[in-house]
Amino acid sequence: MSPLLQVKNVTKKYGGLTANNDISFDVSENEILSVIGPNGAGKSTLFKMISSFVPTTSGEVLYRGERISNLKPHMVARKGVVRTFQETTIFKSMTVRESVVVAQHLRAKASLAGYFWGSKTAQQDVDSFGRYADELLAFLGMTAISDELASNLPQGNLRALGIAIGLATDPKVLLLDEPFAGMNHDETMRMVDLVRSVRDERGVTVMLVEHDMPAVMKISDRIVVLNFGEKIAEGTPSEIQNNEKVIEAYLGSADDEIGM
Amino acid sequence: MEQILANGVYLGSQYAMIALGLTLIFALMNVLNFAHGQMYVIGGFVTYTLYGQWGIPFVLALLMSCITLAIIGALIEKYLFAPVIKGSSREESTMLLAAGIAFLLDALILLVFGEKQRGVPKIVDGVFNWDFRVIMPYDRILICVLAILSIVAFIALMQYTKTGRALRALAQDRTAAQLMGVNVDRYSMIGFALGALLAGLVGGLLVTITGINLGMGGPTSIKAFMMVMIGGAGVISGAIWGGFILGFLEAFGLAYLSQYGDITYLLIFVSLMIFLAIRPQGLMGKPWG
Amino acid sequence: MMNLSAKHVLGVAIFLLVIFVGVPLFIAATGRWDFYFTLTSVALLAIASAGVWLTFYIGRINIGQGAFALVGAYVSAILVVKAGWSFWLSLPAAGLFAALVAALLGLPILRLRGVYFAMITLVFTQVATLTALALPITNGAKGITNIPLPSGVSLFGITLIPDFGEIENARMAFYFTACILMVITYATLYRLVNSRLGHLCRSMQQNEELASSIGVNITYIRILIFSISSFFGGIGGAMFGSISQSVYPATFVVKDSVDFMLNCFLGGLGYVFGPMLGTLVIYFGWDLLFEFGKYQLLIYSIILIVVIRFLPDGLLSIRFSKGGKK
Repeated sequence: MSPLLQVKNVTKKYGGLTANNDISFDVSENEILSVIGPNGAGKSTLFKMISSFVPTTSGEVLYRGERISNLKPHMVARKGVVRTFQETTIFKSMTVRESVVVAQHLRAKASLAGYFWGSKTAQQDVDSFGRYADELLAFLGMTAISDELASNLPQGNLRALGIAIGLATDPKVLLLDEPFAGMNHDETMRMVDLVRSVRDERGVTVMLVEHDMPAVMKISDRIVVLNFGEKIAEGTPSEIQNNEKVIEAYLGSADDEIGM
Repeated sequence: MEQILANGVYLGSQYAMIALGLTLIFALMNVLNFAHGQMYVIGGFVTYTLYGQWGIPFVLALLMSCITLAIIGALIEKYLFAPVIKGSSREESTMLLAAGIAFLLDALILLVFGEKQRGVPKIVDGVFNWDFRVIMPYDRILICVLAILSIVAFIALMQYTKTGRALRALAQDRTAAQLMGVNVDRYSMIGFALGALLAGLVGGLLVTITGINLGMGGPTSIKAFMMVMIGGAGVISGAIWGGFILGFLEAFGLAYLSQYGDITYLLIFVSLMIFLAIRPQGLMGKPWG
Repeated sequence: MMNLSAKHVLGVAIFLLVIFVGVPLFIAATGRWDFYFTLTSVALLAIASAGVWLTFYIGRINIGQGAFALVGAYVSAILVVKAGWSFWLSLPAAGLFAALVAALLGLPILRLRGVYFAMITLVFTQVATLTALALPITNGAKGITNIPLPSGVSLFGITLIPDFGEIENARMAFYFTACILMVITYATLYRLVNSRLGHLCRSMQQNEELASSIGVNITYIRILIFSISSFFGGIGGAMFGSISQSVYPATFVVKDSVDFMLNCFLGGLGYVFGPMLGTLVIYFGWDLLFEFGKYQLLIYSIILIVVIRFLPDGLLSIRFSKGGKK
């Protein structure tokens, strides 16, 4: 089976600093792949390059064999590779349901002019957006808060809202930016279940960057480990757990958030 | 050529001071001070009244311009900007307020000083002439030197005094400055007063050369906005760069383009747009300020 | 969104009745014919303000509408005077030309946000005035004067629009034209805001990064909205030039750009009809204060500052906070 997403020799340099050096790995269809590494390992830069929010210095990212790096972010989303943000990036003065409705933008069949004149297709779109929003929120267990303003939500719900917005676009690949950051154990386990069900029930391939080790071990099919901008290991959770280089990298860092 | 460069330095020094005040207020409070030009005009009129009308020595008149504007700035900050910033989450509100204040100051200038163009007697006579390569009246040279000295004094103030350090901390990160124990309300007021003072000082200096009138407020604000955009909003070095760049552009424009009519500013604006398309944060600014 | 409630329909019907029947009756009864000119100006300025409001809707503070109104006024005047076009053709042409200028200008400057965008649009207003002074086609400081009144339009011998030069009361004709344009503008604005484009704008207003992550082409929508906004400005300006039968570089200046922005703020940025109300209040407020002679500007600015201080969300926020809805 050919990989869905291919990261090929991606390098990012900021001035003299190399944030990522020659990183390559593949993501297969229907897999949950995590990129981990100590703070400053270059996870978030890599994440932004895959979603095209920053350009690569060299190398490329392919989706179904098509280059998606160095495009405009919305073009990447249109191809079906959608990222989420950490909790501060939301539509503050929209309700949860409104956010999910507006995020279905890519599923629209009618043109903007069609909406303006209120064409039949547009009317059908509007109805289907509403239905799908309700269904999606029910799936994510968010029905009770669907009419809350996003700015009034607690942190845990904001993360779920971010995923709801991402899912509403009907993605093939969902890129999650530190989905477990700042969560306690129970919240993390709930999020792990949620991400799993996104993959199992919706057939969405998931790639995430994260530094919460236990959660990553539990959720991932495969793991890529970065350290100082380089890929140092790749494999199943059990392989990674026993990889000497990884242990060294984590022991060597004074990062207390890892909890290994 | 030397003449153009000399004119550039002369204009640039004035402009840099105006831009410094504007950028200081912007950095501290994220307020675009529409009324900056009007503050400049008030400074000019105060010096005109004291020095030109009442015959008080120029330096004292200039000092009074500074003090008047510092007081006006402090009052405006304390009773208008501070409450509006606290009461509204939109940054638009402060911009609207600034526009309202520009109108208010215009109205006050009209009532107190009238709408006539005013000028004062020359502070020094004579013309400096270097072999007809650079010709510049002595009063312009004096004003230019005073302006540059003021800029140096301002930078020294910002770098080496407690007030300056507090202001810089405030400009960088309001919350962090508060945590470090900076009295945010007090220093916002001081900063605003200082920005207004600079505008008043330039007004007082330039009244001796170009005179002053009610209509000069708006265009002065617009020039100040351009300088701040060239250099990068909220950055002190950027304001100085912006001021001198605009000064030189204008000097060159007047020398080479004036026969084609009033197109200098058109060209400057077009260049500014191209520049901002490549570098939206200006020369010295951080991305997205 | 299409189902307007009975209350909405009633509100709109009353509004239309007032402007198209009430006002003419009132003017005929009182003999205050000068009101036609005042209200026509309000209607036209409200059209331009609607454009400014729309740019607010994508999170940009637009202080450049005076420039687009000026562009519209000149384009229409040049087409009518120098190319002999009918005014009614020059009107959409003026709007489209303003929109084209906005698209070209918007490409670099719409990347800027907040104060930066506000500053550069303000500077652009100044530049428009300078350009009008410098170009030969705009006739410099002398401007374009003696613009003929709009000619008639007839189709198959039926007069659709009478020749404004021949009808008895051109003022009333202009008033009706301006009101019709204003109603169309606000109806368009209302539909736009309540259709998908409006929702996308709202998403961009709140977070452009997130909007682009869900596949919104933010560059395209920014330019589209800025062009529509400037189209309104161009139309308002062109009509204004036709009424005063002249255009000068000073017809729309920085002060006008700032006023358009004030109209929107004062009415309320959260309400589609905010700019219309804001324009009416500011225009009439300014006229009423004329009684105070040299204190006019002082009182005006003090009232303005007090409103901003105590009603930061605009005049319409008063009735909305009481639970009423237009």
